[in-house]
Amino acid sequence: MFPADLYLLMPELALAGMAIIVILADLVLKRRDLLAPLSLIGLAVPVALSIVLWLKLDSIDPHALSGFSGFFVVDYFSLFFKFLILGATALVIMASRESVTRFSRFQGEYYALIMMASGGMMLMAAATELVSIYVALELSALSTVALIALLKNSRSIEASMKFLILSAISSAVMLYGMALVFGLTGSTRLLDIADRLTSVSELIDQPALLLGVIFIITGFGFKISSVPFQMWVPDVYEGAPTPVAAYLSVASKAAGFAVIIRVFFLAFGSLTDEWALLFAVLAAVSMFIGNLVAIAQKNIKRMLGYSTIAHAGFIMVGLAAIGREGELLGPGVESILFYLVAYAATNLGAFIAVIAISSKINSELIDDYAGVARRNPFLAFALAVSLVSLMGLPPTAGFWAKLNVFNAAIETDLVWLALIGMINSVISAYFYLRVIKTMYLSPPASEERITADLPLKAALAIAVIGLLFIGIVPGFVMDVVETAVGTLA
Amino acid sequence: MINIEYYLVLSAAIFCIGVYGVLARRNAILILMSIELMLQAVNINLIAFSTYLIPKGELEEHLGFIFAIFVITIAAAEVGLALGIILRLYRNRASVNVDEVNLMKW
Amino acid sequence: MLADYGYIGIYLLLATLIPVSMLLIPWALSFVGVKPHNPTPVKLETYESGMRTIGGSWIRFNFRYYYFALLFVIFDVEVVFLFPWAVYLDKLKLFGLIEMGIFILILMVGYAYAWRKKALEWS
Repeated sequence: MFPADLYLLMPELALAGMAIIVILADLVLKRRDLLAPLSLIGLAVPVALSIVLWLKLDSIDPHALSGFSGFFVVDYFSLFFKFLILGATALVIMASRESVTRFSRFQGEYYALIMMASGGMMLMAAATELVSIYVALELSALSTVALIALLKNSRSIEASMKFLILSAISSAVMLYGMALVFGLTGSTRLLDIADRLTSVSELIDQPALLLGVIFIITGFGFKISSVPFQMWVPDVYEGAPTPVAAYLSVASKAAGFAVIIRVFFLAFGSLTDEWALLFAVLAAVSMFIGNLVAIAQKNIKRMLGYSTIAHAGFIMVGLAAIGREGELLGPGVESILFYLVAYAATNLGAFIAVIAISSKINSELIDDYAGVARRNPFLAFALAVSLVSLMGLPPTAGFWAKLNVFNAAIETDLVWLALIGMINSVISAYFYLRVIKTMYLSPPASEERITADLPLKAALAIAVIGLLFIGIVPGFVMDVVETAVGTLA
Repeated sequence: MINIEYYLVLSAAIFCIGVYGVLARRNAILILMSIELMLQAVNINLIAFSTYLIPKGELEEHLGFIFAIFVITIAAAEVGLALGIILRLYRNRASVNVDEVNLMKW
Repeated sequence: MLADYGYIGIYLLLATLIPVSMLLIPWALSFVGVKPHNPTPVKLETYESGMRTIGGSWIRFNFRYYYFALLFVIFDVEVVFLFPWAVYLDKLKLFGLIEMGIFILILMVGYAYAWRKKALEWS
């Protein structure tokens, strides 16, 4: 019975296997510089397997393959997130070749852990059952904790300590919620939970169920760095190795939203009245706190940390924008997926540029970015384009992402939320533009050129071309997103 | 007869003690222990639900127990990692007091 | 039902009675002079398998013990998966055996890693 389902898990299994191979290679090999290409090959295998699964889905009717008695599903939605997460991981690995030399003894661990974290995130997007969601979530969270601590200096240890404690608390609270939901509905499978909630009408009014749902939001809110659970973000971004921060901001957020969409739209679809408003309020507060506090930041990584909180708010507008009766999976969910792709390209672009610049000028202060445009025009241009996209101006991906989210909000009568979003876009322009102004208009501290290695430049180019491509031809990604959401129900 | 309510109240009480410990304690090790209490409260809940509410012979009969086993093992992994980090913190800082872990603020 | 509680009651009674009597009997015997009473400092010393002890037992001990304890806890708890597996092995058949083999193999990789990274050495 079980072995027949194993091929559904092939991408994750391949990734985990490659992570173990990387660890063993690190123990045996003397040449550490071979590890990065080895891990990139390791990422190519799951990508290829995911493509195979995608082609297989095309040929069968309900376009979804469920395995392990409903613990796990392969559909366009999960494959979409697999590609997104693997792509982000590949770019981060390409960009981290130089940073990795700073933790000389732990290079193999860096690559292996980042691959294990990706495996966890891919599982998160594919899990359709509370136990597997929890295991996947912890797999990615614990790998991330170790990644943050890799620098072993005071700041990095402090960041990972904070991250670990907050992650453990939020996942304990989430587990309590899951236990309550399991007790009330008698199942941990999302579809069964949805069935029980619609067939047994008195369940809906149970205060314990509402408590369970709110507790579950705690765990997921931590993952996507939404507001009441955002305290770790700036510290972790500042203390962690920069590639890890980049990875965390993009992949972890994407996986978190994938889980939220699955759990709340599939299992708790009959409770939208309760959670939609909650997400709307959290979205508004996240945007304001993220953007307003970002203005005061002097460290660019901290600033990007607060910006990531604000962007979690923008994306949550899409969660709040659920359709009226009957059309749950409306424009809101599509706008979330589009936003995640756009944000991945944009934020990776910004972070990779920061990796290159900060490691050379040995500072993360925005003031020290003065005149970077003259010291390396390409890096400065890439950072500027990424920041413009984070602001949400055309012709970049960020523009369409925000437009879609706000459109979805307006279509579902959430005009106030869309307005708050627009006000926040204007606020955010201030601190993003300040960085661009410092880079282009301030005189440089020295004329020495800032250099970067080839893989990093390639990764940066891919990210920037990606965000411009999405900005100019958004239709392509939109089509993919529609396919992905189409199989969700 | 011991009803399920007893277990649920016990679990809620342990969970609240854990939450109190997390909020009130300043020593990293004690915070970890409090988190562990929260997780054990969840396990009591899961096993009580599984024993009392799920009819025998259903597919879900042992789901609560399986869930609890996963919680236990992942909690062990978490504690292992946390203690490793706390050891490192102690080496860097000669203290495991979370109040003193404050290089980065705002 | 009530009878079950009765057993628990008897058990509780016995459980209190035995330690209390173990404390009371020597105390009572000391009045008759059967119980000898000659305290010496040796009796309060740290016991160490008959060897002559050096120093007290309240000392700072080496940091490295923690690493061993950590490794022990992790490997020890992962074994919890073996219990349900062993109970259902007759139903899982060969596939279950292979799967557990892979699980143990992964644990072994962790062990080899710890060994190779010199976490098991006392330096």
